[in-house]
Amino acid sequence: MPPGAGPFKGGFPAAPRGKSPAPRARGRGFPSAFRPPRPCHVMLPRQPARGGGRRAVARGGAAAGGGPWRGRSGAREASSLATAVAPGPRVSSMASAPTSKYNSHSLENESIKRTSRDGVNWDLSEAVPRLPGETRITDKEVIYICPFNGPIKGRVYITNYRLYLRSLETDSALILDVPLGVISRIEKMGGATSRGENSYGLDITCKDMRNLRFALKQEGHSRRDMFEILTRYAFPLAHSLPIFAFLNEEKFNVDGWTVYNPVEEYRRQGLPNHHWRITFINKCYELCDTYPALLVVPYRASDDDLRRVATFRSRNRIPFSGSDFPDHLACPWNVLSWIHPENKTVIVRCSQPLVGMSGKRNKDDEKYLDVIRETNRQISKLTIYDARPNVNAVANKATGGGYESDDAYHNAELFFLDIHNIHVMRESLKKVKDIVYPNVEESHWLSSLESTHWLEHIKLVLTGAIQVADRVSSGKSSVLVHCSDGWDRTAQLTSLAMLMLDSFYRSIEGFEILVQKEWISFGHKFASRIGHGDKNHADADRSPIFLQFIDCVWQMSKQFPTAFEFNERFLITILDHLYSCRFGTFLYNCESAREKQKVTERTVSLWSLINSNKDKFKNPFYTKEINRVLYPVASMRHLELWVNYYIRWNPRIKQQQPNPVEQRYVELLALRDEYIQRLEELQLASSAKLPDPSTSPAGPSQMMPHVRTHF
Amino acid sequence: MEHIRTTKVEQVKLLDRFSTSNKSLTGTLYLTATHLLFIDSHQKETWILHHHIALVEKLALTTSGCPLVIQCKNFRIVHFIVPRERDCHDIYNSLLQLSKQAKYEDLYAFSYNPKQNDSERLQGWQLIDLAEEYKRMGVPNSNWQLSDANREYKICETYPRELYVPRIASKPIIVGSSKFRSKGRFPVLSYYHQNKEAAICRCSQPLSGFSARCLEDEHLLQAISKANPVNRYMYVMDTRPKLNAMANRAAGKGYENEDNYSNIRFQFVGIENIHVMRSSLQKLLEVNGTKGLSVSDFYSGLESSGWLRHIKAVMDAAIFLAKAIMVENASVLVHCSDGWDRTSQVCSLGSLLLDSYYRTIKGFMVLIEKDWISFGHKFSERCGHLDGDPKEVSPVFTQFLECVWHLTEQFPQAFEFNEAFLLQIHEHIHSCQFGNFLGNCQKEREELKLKEKTYSLWPFLLDDQKKYLNPLYSSKSPKFAVLEPNTVSFNFKFWRNMYHQFDRTLHPRQSMFNIIMNMNEQNEQLENDIKDLESKIKQRKSKQTDGILTKELLHSVHPESPTLKTSLCFKEQTLLPVNHALRTIEGSNPADNRYSEYAEEYSKSEPGVVSLEYGVARMTC
Repeated sequence: MPPGAGPFKGGFPAAPRGKSPAPRARGRGFPSAFRPPRPCHVMLPRQPARGGGRRAVARGGAAAGGGPWRGRSGAREASSLATAVAPGPRVSSMASAPTSKYNSHSLENESIKRTSRDGVNWDLSEAVPRLPGETRITDKEVIYICPFNGPIKGRVYITNYRLYLRSLETDSALILDVPLGVISRIEKMGGATSRGENSYGLDITCKDMRNLRFALKQEGHSRRDMFEILTRYAFPLAHSLPIFAFLNEEKFNVDGWTVYNPVEEYRRQGLPNHHWRITFINKCYELCDTYPALLVVPYRASDDDLRRVATFRSRNRIPFSGSDFPDHLACPWNVLSWIHPENKTVIVRCSQPLVGMSGKRNKDDEKYLDVIRETNRQISKLTIYDARPNVNAVANKATGGGYESDDAYHNAELFFLDIHNIHVMRESLKKVKDIVYPNVEESHWLSSLESTHWLEHIKLVLTGAIQVADRVSSGKSSVLVHCSDGWDRTAQLTSLAMLMLDSFYRSIEGFEILVQKEWISFGHKFASRIGHGDKNHADADRSPIFLQFIDCVWQMSKQFPTAFEFNERFLITILDHLYSCRFGTFLYNCESAREKQKVTERTVSLWSLINSNKDKFKNPFYTKEINRVLYPVASMRHLELWVNYYIRWNPRIKQQQPNPVEQRYVELLALRDEYIQRLEELQLASSAKLPDPSTSPAGPSQMMPHVRTHF
Repeated sequence: MEHIRTTKVEQVKLLDRFSTSNKSLTGTLYLTATHLLFIDSHQKETWILHHHIALVEKLALTTSGCPLVIQCKNFRIVHFIVPRERDCHDIYNSLLQLSKQAKYEDLYAFSYNPKQNDSERLQGWQLIDLAEEYKRMGVPNSNWQLSDANREYKICETYPRELYVPRIASKPIIVGSSKFRSKGRFPVLSYYHQNKEAAICRCSQPLSGFSARCLEDEHLLQAISKANPVNRYMYVMDTRPKLNAMANRAAGKGYENEDNYSNIRFQFVGIENIHVMRSSLQKLLEVNGTKGLSVSDFYSGLESSGWLRHIKAVMDAAIFLAKAIMVENASVLVHCSDGWDRTSQVCSLGSLLLDSYYRTIKGFMVLIEKDWISFGHKFSERCGHLDGDPKEVSPVFTQFLECVWHLTEQFPQAFEFNEAFLLQIHEHIHSCQFGNFLGNCQKEREELKLKEKTYSLWPFLLDDQKKYLNPLYSSKSPKFAVLEPNTVSFNFKFWRNMYHQFDRTLHPRQSMFNIIMNMNEQNEQLENDIKDLESKIKQRKSKQTDGILTKELLHSVHPESPTLKTSLCFKEQTLLPVNHALRTIEGSNPADNRYSEYAEEYSKSEPGVVSLEYGVARMTC
């Protein structure tokens, strides 16, 4: 493409900005008898939308200082995603974009830094934010039917990565910035003959708890090209197009792909040791293509043993006769996830045994489990947690699966954790969306929330993980966790238990490693569960399992505000990019597929984005501690709906940004630093005046490093 | 004491209310004149004030002994097992007698002695001066004056002596109006907004029946709206549901007819009556007292209790009130039936939204003194201080405190006080330890000579101020001048720290609040260290200029460095164990040891707590 000849050469209408939006006198939940006769900004001092330092600006009701977003409740709609996306380098000038000279935008970087620190915006000359590698496809004037503020005229820009809408109305500064990966379904609403205002257009269902509706002119099939382009780029797989992550040319100064190195991680845990060894038996993913190449198994189990055991666990490579399983291979062996540094009890994971109706047994599997038990002498019984409800486990026998019976496994005790399957979770989340989007259920909020059962599921997952963690940390026994295939509920349980047990995973990098290890490398089927670039929105394989895990982490972070290095934004950013397809991190179902596609070479890792801008994701309350086991309370009195995620599109949730509690703490921390410095100086001053060698050098220099360790 | 037959029972078991494994502590139960005391084998003491006891129950005999369940007004529930039935019976009977006194003079306040002399006691009572408070609001002024009509409680027994009314309202008008209002509670000033020159007034329902009218009352309302130079019309808020107000008409009471009163805008806001509130709280407690509560029971129980809905209704009414004044500059007259329950809630909450002074510790005391105590909220009846009509008991004030708590949750920086302050006040409205909340109106309190015979709570709370300070408070921030709470459904949450304040296992292990408090303390200490050092250096400088650098000086500085070092190390330690330190607030009540229990519990028994919790979970899965 010749420079400057792209379809999007300059000339986009500059959006109105810097104008103060007319104060809207809305009855904000007040009894209807009121007709406020004057702007009520005195009565209703808004919490500044963000940037506490700019209170004066926000209070004046004018957005002059901070771009059109400041102080606008409607604008919250888009800000969350946009701020999450913000740190990435942005091309600031439209004219230079089509030439694709992304590696030489050092000058542009300047402006990027300036604007992204501001939180949301970019240069005036620019109409649409763009990533390196992102190309503009089309733009069109539409009416965005905002569920909160009514129809808003705007111009929508579609690139191969995002749908971007800017309001064309002077009193609205609304901006929508939606990565196409978030889209799960595009429907046409109304027909050429349908009547009524704004009845003809597109209805877009998103994976992140919202719907977008655009109305278009009825004449001349005006929506057809928009529909086709959106379908094409939101579902590239169906049109044999690449997923955007492969086109993304972002550069970060940190390489997120190096965060997780299995050998190093196992070494951190003290492995291999006398009882456990690292095996490369699955090097070429021959034995099990959903497991990683590198596995930790008991020292006493030879590779031959492993091969024999593999035949007895679900979805092994030898086709199970008469099965209707797809030809995927799953998690055949109990492999180690985590080992307790002191009592050496372990968490191992696998899939269900193929017991079947006839109650088949496998001597090798039984022996293998015993070998695991024997890696720790003190243990008389191995604890098996089957994540499923008892009934489901029994029902699985009909399809050849099942659970470990007492007769066959003498030295093991089995507990069911009653966590439901992916279909139940999907339906539950759907119900959550029904009660929070677009309008939050008012009159029967509590019973509606209850009827979604979402928190009940969260509670069961957490309860299960607590039990696993408690077993292991008390040294009572080693724990084997499985569900059906060992990649959904099992991943939730092992990773949450590890988070409770090992403070390392509560740091930013530790958490990245945890996700990378327990979820990505052990084959949680992200591609199927999320449906990246796939148009089959009704696919029964889709399920919010990972979201549920992140929700559990959030619940834990609420209960232990000092235990986690990362903040809520970190979790929301992960969830945003779980869908966005901007990074390769969550693409594909398993390690073997990722390797085949050379994901690490051809895409950018989400951790690059996060680790190159860690400060944004840090929890100021974090106090590093070693060896503390977290036991969250999985009681209904403590679990809450994650309002800042599930209801974030609703302008009625006023997120106080920055959070006053956090802000105060940061202030106090700064004050403390200042005091300590003052003290240091004073001590130096006092000791300098006092030519006594025994006290003067010892004072501050000894003390300070000691004090600083906790920041 | 004639009621106490057994003073000490050994080998009594205290059951854990939420444990599924029936965990228990064994210890000795003591019965004193004022408290029930349980000391377990770890020497941990549980004190229960007799006045806090709402209900004592003796359950059917079991093999291990006779169970005795005590429910307290501060939401503590204890479950003892007394080995011998006779002991149990004795204690049961004693407690029945002791928890329900017939005379005010038998209440704890009349025997409580905090070792203060008479002048200190008097000073304590003078701490809150309502005349001073009206002056602060800006009355009397050209439109409002102090009326002496009720100086001898002649017009209205349940009102205070000093009342503020519009200047143009003459005494005959006042007297006439009072005859047309239930219990003589005619419209008077509750809060005056100086900037807007608008007023919140309060009264009881008019005796309008189906058609009656009263010219004096109409004049008085006119006078109120005329006292507001900005706005011609005023709002009349009837805080009852319309249906209730209609029903009252049949009894010769009712509500204002808009046709008879010029310039009023009449509005119902639909807060339910004391009986509905009482049974709602009862349901709430039943739901939450359940062992191994399942998710669905919790939410459907919470919803069907209606408690949070009632809280929202009160809050909405207060918001309506505040908005009328801020946005429309209109004066508002609030009433319910008698004007001492819902009216107190709405007037005080409305003032709290409008005036940041009431969000300070002192200001909140003033607010309670003004809108609740002086205007005759019937504390003794609502809290059941004496053995009286159980139908008069209702958690109206508790509800007010909960509304304030919801505001503190939504506006963490707007309040000078913290949750512990609210809990402590709640503790003492039932404790009968101080004179403030005894009696049902000012007249009764004067007759009881409370100021001579009992102590005031407020100075004790102020002395302990440090415990009640909100570390996030930013007093100067203009954005908290007027609060505009958001009453969207998910903002209303169950107040765990109130209704489960004694159920330690249900509390989180770590509180953000504590972390900040600790940090604050550390910084203060650092600040002091700096001051210390600075003054020492200054001292030395002056000495040096004098040319005296002697060994004496060396001595004075030397020991200082080590202390400084240790103080810093000490601070670090206080930062670390945030997980152990729970709330370190203690009641001014000497027997109130519940908070100190926390720290202990948490430092050792975490795993125990855990197995309990998932025990609960497993039960309900």
